[in-house]
Amino acid sequence: MAEHPRATGALKEFIQRETARILGACTRCGKCVEACPMARYSAPLAGADPKAVATGILAVLREEPGTAEALGWASVCVRSGSCVPACPENVNPMIMVRIARMVASGGLGGPQQIAVRADRDFFDRVRAFARLQLTEEEIRNWM
Amino acid sequence: MGERITFWYGCNVLRHGDIIHSCVDILRLLGFDVQPAGGPDYCCGSSKDANQTAADGMAHRTVTKFNHLRRERVVAWCPSCHTHMTDFMGQAYPADFSLTYFVELLYEHREALAPLLKHPVPLRVLLHQHVGFNDRVEVNAKAPALLRLIPGVEVVADDYAAPGYMCAQLATVPAAMADMVRNTLRLVDAHRADAVVTVFHQCYRELCGLEAGGATQVFNYVQLLARSLGLAYPDEYKEWKKAGPHAAAVIGDARLAQVGVQFFERAMLPELIKRPVGSPGETS
Repeated sequence: MAEHPRATGALKEFIQRETARILGACTRCGKCVEACPMARYSAPLAGADPKAVATGILAVLREEPGTAEALGWASVCVRSGSCVPACPENVNPMIMVRIARMVASGGLGGPQQIAVRADRDFFDRVRAFARLQLTEEEIRNWM
Repeated sequence: MGERITFWYGCNVLRHGDIIHSCVDILRLLGFDVQPAGGPDYCCGSSKDANQTAADGMAHRTVTKFNHLRRERVVAWCPSCHTHMTDFMGQAYPADFSLTYFVELLYEHREALAPLLKHPVPLRVLLHQHVGFNDRVEVNAKAPALLRLIPGVEVVADDYAAPGYMCAQLATVPAAMADMVRNTLRLVDAHRADAVVTVFHQCYRELCGLEAGGATQVFNYVQLLARSLGLAYPDEYKEWKKAGPHAAAVIGDARLAQVGVQFFERAMLPELIKRPVGSPGETS
């Protein structure tokens, strides 16, 4: 797996603080996994113990190798947020899984453990659509 | 002069010039002094989960630019931008502005908006809802309330809400996207709806492929507000999507040259041809 450079800046520092908060608050009860409407779309989660999945997510946050179940859950998260009210500890599991995805995709440095969609044309495509529909003045003043 | 706001429209909505122009017009009709801001130079960085160094640079740059605009309120169009500003950017970098979501602002000003909606839009519509984001802004209640201000629009009530908060992300899990498409078309049938109406452009971008495939009409709610206001910006993205492999002919050689034919064919045409997974006739 590719090793990415360590992330820097205030955003990384905030993510580190959030990670520490989550690691301290989560009791691994698995209620977040049970509430997730996307879990059924992940093959590794079929029959998985929700507590083990949550425990696996915390391991990813500690930058340890993720279990198939944890990485499977992180991979299908589309931020429904159903996990947030399900959490008895006010962890905000949506943020927890989001950060786990950042870690598992190599976004903070460390090995890439899940597939990442690379779209090298993302911004050029946006600019191209803008050129087709906005005036030059709008592009100059609005972008 | 009304309240000075920044209208943060985001990146991907630049596919839909009619939506951006309509939003700016609506805000001005409501009396706001609007500075639109968006595109890559104002990107929130939420698409950069796999590169937090880049995401950090974008967060810092965008918050700093908004601070320099010295407008008290940023009104976000994009739910991803709104969420990323709330959860990450604004936590890392101090923001000298408050943040509002566009639906929320229109809902706040619905009494001023209502008398401007003069042209009837006779449509029975099914609101396309998601589970997510609604806990931050009650879009699943406020967007239909706005639609009901339009003479002629009938919004059918249904409890179905798709997972996630927008279709562009749901599309990364094809089985979930296919389930959502099947459920949506089943509900269109069951409610005898004329059209599906989306709140977010990310859903509109994906679902207007259903109209291109002949399954149902699809609109974004702002397009219906604009129609009732008498704004006449053409929905070019839908026309290109309907033209599919022949989109270049609709766009025309002169405009295509602005973006480059090779780039268009490699990076833009595939999404114009694509139809939602699970829709009738979808082959991918």
